[in-house]
Amino acid sequence: MKIVEYVRAHKKPFLWIAAIVVVLLILVITKPSMETLRTSMSQELRDLEGNHVSSEVNLGIAGAVRGKVQRTAESETYIGVLGMVIQADEGIAKTAGDVLLWLPQLFRGAVTTVELSVVAMLAGIVLGVFLALGKISKNKVVSKLCSAYIFFFRGTPLLMQLFFIYYGLPTISMSLAINNKFFAAFVAFALNFGAYCAELVRAAIQSIDKGQFEASKALGMTGTQNMRLVILPQTIRRLIPPMSNEFIMALKDVSLVSLIALSDLTHVTRSISSSTASVTVFIPAMIIYLIITAIFTFIFNRIEKRFSIYD
Amino acid sequence: MPLIRTEDVCKSFGKLQVLKNINVTINKGEVISIVGPSGAGKSTFLRSLNQLEKITHGKIFIDDQLFLHREHDATVHRIHREEYIRLLLEMGMVFQQFNLFPHKTVLQNLTLAPINVQKVTKKAAEEQARDLLALVGLTDKADEYPSRLSGGQKQRVAIARALAMNPKIMLFDEPTSALDPELVGEVLGVMRKLAQSGMTMIVVTHEMSFAKDVCNRVLFMCDGAVAEENTPNEFFSNPKNPRAAQFLQSIL
Repeated sequence: MKIVEYVRAHKKPFLWIAAIVVVLLILVITKPSMETLRTSMSQELRDLEGNHVSSEVNLGIAGAVRGKVQRTAESETYIGVLGMVIQADEGIAKTAGDVLLWLPQLFRGAVTTVELSVVAMLAGIVLGVFLALGKISKNKVVSKLCSAYIFFFRGTPLLMQLFFIYYGLPTISMSLAINNKFFAAFVAFALNFGAYCAELVRAAIQSIDKGQFEASKALGMTGTQNMRLVILPQTIRRLIPPMSNEFIMALKDVSLVSLIALSDLTHVTRSISSSTASVTVFIPAMIIYLIITAIFTFIFNRIEKRFSIYD
Repeated sequence: MPLIRTEDVCKSFGKLQVLKNINVTINKGEVISIVGPSGAGKSTFLRSLNQLEKITHGKIFIDDQLFLHREHDATVHRIHREEYIRLLLEMGMVFQQFNLFPHKTVLQNLTLAPINVQKVTKKAAEEQARDLLALVGLTDKADEYPSRLSGGQKQRVAIARALAMNPKIMLFDEPTSALDPELVGEVLGVMRKLAQSGMTMIVVTHEMSFAKDVCNRVLFMCDGAVAEENTPNEFFSNPKNPRAAQFLQSIL
């Protein structure tokens, strides 16, 4: 019953979802089979020895195949959608075919980008909380060390830090070598994001009214209890907007890994661009970045709402 | 029996001496109001009692036991942490700005410290919290967040939160100064009830009617020292100290 009431209260989004589902269903049902697409190719291509299909993609709602004669570099592309088989060798159709055929690679790159930014950001937040607590600590040594760390990682280029960890560490000692590119990038970004998050967390902690600390102290709480039970929970709500901003920056900073040849979205885009000698691929790649950003902005807004209950 | 005794309590901010040799004894069941012009050191003195302000010099005894002994801005005699907490919690504090925990519901505000500091079970803490909310007349607000309450309601919750630690003494630091005039009454009402129940209270206040009607003793502070200590009747009708007379004239 609750579900029915919920749907009734939120009619508009559900109507949208229903409409999208219907359209997708129609597309799925009417999509020509891949076999149909393959057999649409010209006799000349099909007569070639071996596999005449150079690349193909099946998105469920649309598909594309491309055949290529290696010797002459002549190619034929076919798009199958809505029950139609469209020859896509020139104009807009060609671009559409290209984009369709690039999508699987771009998608894999996007997954790497998102994975890397999410895990590095999570590690950075944890590191940042400890650095912030260290920086405002009464212990002078701890405080100075944390300040120095933050100063170093905010004051040098992220790209240089990444290069140093991936290329530099092995030259110091082979035991420091990180062979896995993803892991090397994770370490570099986590260390860097930690420094930025630390400053955000510190500012948030110091923005909490001094009276909160006094009330905790008068109630007999220790400094640790005051932090854990009173101050930090209050900072979360204030941290969400700057953290959201920081994450979106991080998502784009991650494109630097293309320079250590880790196949993130940017790296994939560049390699497609150079192999096709065209920049068309940048358009779908940037759209994918925008979609990712939009999704995360939406998620952060939801989290912010969830934490606004006590305002 | 003295619950609080101070010996030569002094405090300076650099060269500025804000508390000058304060010797005060507060007995069980007494309701004391501290009045005086602003900048006299009333709040500083009150906040020194539970060490929210670090005194430069002097001794504080709680329940006849040494709570703090400082000389030349250094603690002379360090007491054990458990002892410190035990004596500290004999005092409950109510602040001018309420200082409720905004991320916790009213009920959680009352149970947070009992559960985490006194290690009371959640069930027992909540039971006690509901009793205290009934005492301050806010039973129906248990699950609200402080932001949904009026100033008077917030201050009543703050009083209940301090009472949740079962203190022997309640310290009030200008509890009604941040309230709209029409909300002052409800807070003073709760404080009256508390005084009648025999709670020992020290109240820094500008509410002269409260000082007159409820208190056993009035401390008049001026320039960081206790200038006059008197019964409310005597103090308000016939102050001995010329500064006190001047002060009363200016507010009446």
